[in-house]
Amino acid sequence: MNRIHESMKDIRASEELKKSTMDYLRQQRKRVRDRRIRRYALAAACLCLMLTAAGYTIYKRPVSYISIDVNPSVELGVNRFGRVVEVDAYNRDGEGLLKQAALKHVPYLKAIRRLLADEGYLGYLAEDSRVFITVISDSREKILEEIREDELTGRYGARTYTSDLTCREEAHRQSMSFGKYRVCLELSRYDESVTVEDCHGMSMGEIEDRIETCKGHGHGNGNGGYEEDSDSGKGHGRHHRHGH
Amino acid sequence: MRSEEELSMAMDAYADMVRRICFLHLKNRYDTEDVFQNVYLKYLLSDKSFASGEHEKAWFARVTINACTDHLRYASRRKWVPLDVIEEESGVVDETASEVLQAVLSLPEKYKNVIYLHYYEDYSAVEIARVLGKKENTVYSWLSRARELLKEKLGGEWA
Repeated sequence: MNRIHESMKDIRASEELKKSTMDYLRQQRKRVRDRRIRRYALAAACLCLMLTAAGYTIYKRPVSYISIDVNPSVELGVNRFGRVVEVDAYNRDGEGLLKQAALKHVPYLKAIRRLLADEGYLGYLAEDSRVFITVISDSREKILEEIREDELTGRYGARTYTSDLTCREEAHRQSMSFGKYRVCLELSRYDESVTVEDCHGMSMGEIEDRIETCKGHGHGNGNGGYEEDSDSGKGHGRHHRHGH
Repeated sequence: MRSEEELSMAMDAYADMVRRICFLHLKNRYDTEDVFQNVYLKYLLSDKSFASGEHEKAWFARVTINACTDHLRYASRRKWVPLDVIEEESGVVDETASEVLQAVLSLPEKYKNVIYLHYYEDYSAVEIARVLGKKENTVYSWLSRARELLKEKLGGEWA
């Protein structure tokens, strides 16, 4: 054994040094684990937040629209889950109603029923008044089917129609619901002297009566190029026209 | 992160070597404790897998030498009062050993490493070159120069 080896052989790590180091390493291991857990928790929280934000964005975006018109005109924006996420009124009567009826975040059929059952709304549902429900949706057939089969809409003889987003945009430029705008366009085809401004002051019943009168006098071009697939009587209304 | 069992095994296997390298470079037991703990902390946090015990031992030697170098670099910038490391080891080091240790400790840092690895751990110049990340010729040159210095201090039959 060389002298260097001999001189250093007794220099060893003391048990105290080993023990204090092992204690220190256990603490560090715990700190590292805690830090990792905190990091994972933070990442999970961020992910949840992002998913929530993404989910909320999807939830609050309407993919279908339903216009309910008597005299009050109310439009419902319906998300992909079938819940009402937007409610807009297009005349003073409608605004008054929206203040009372809680329509947001409920399924659209329930919202329609809630609206029709609202005490304020009942005042507009006189014997000669007519309820028009117009739908814009990729799944319009399903929505219309549900509305037609509903007992309450049936009781008020709701007429059901479809429309499209272009018609909705034009309607909003005229400060009118797309359901009422569709009927106005139909009337203007029978009577070219009628303007949208004139329609603003008319109820849905009055507009329809004018259309019927024009039809009776043989004005215009029949049904204005619209496809109508049902009778026009009361009861379970089945007027179903496409587009504007 | 290493398991408790791995740590215990590494502690049993390499603690004395780590301690001796610290002894060669550091000025007191507090610095030694710092570096000693840092070396094992690095081992705890390392995911490196070793091909053999020798590979692992070389890793400990290299990491300890580097940790000592870093510590000395840091220590050179602070005010501190060095304790006599041999004094601290007076309980285990006799007079003859103390003379050799004084001579080794007086060597420049780079020579201490090659002398320790060669004469205590029985590493060849090739192995030392690998541990220190230096060229073999450099290691040979350092060994030669270190031997000359020790010969001057301890006389002809020092090793």
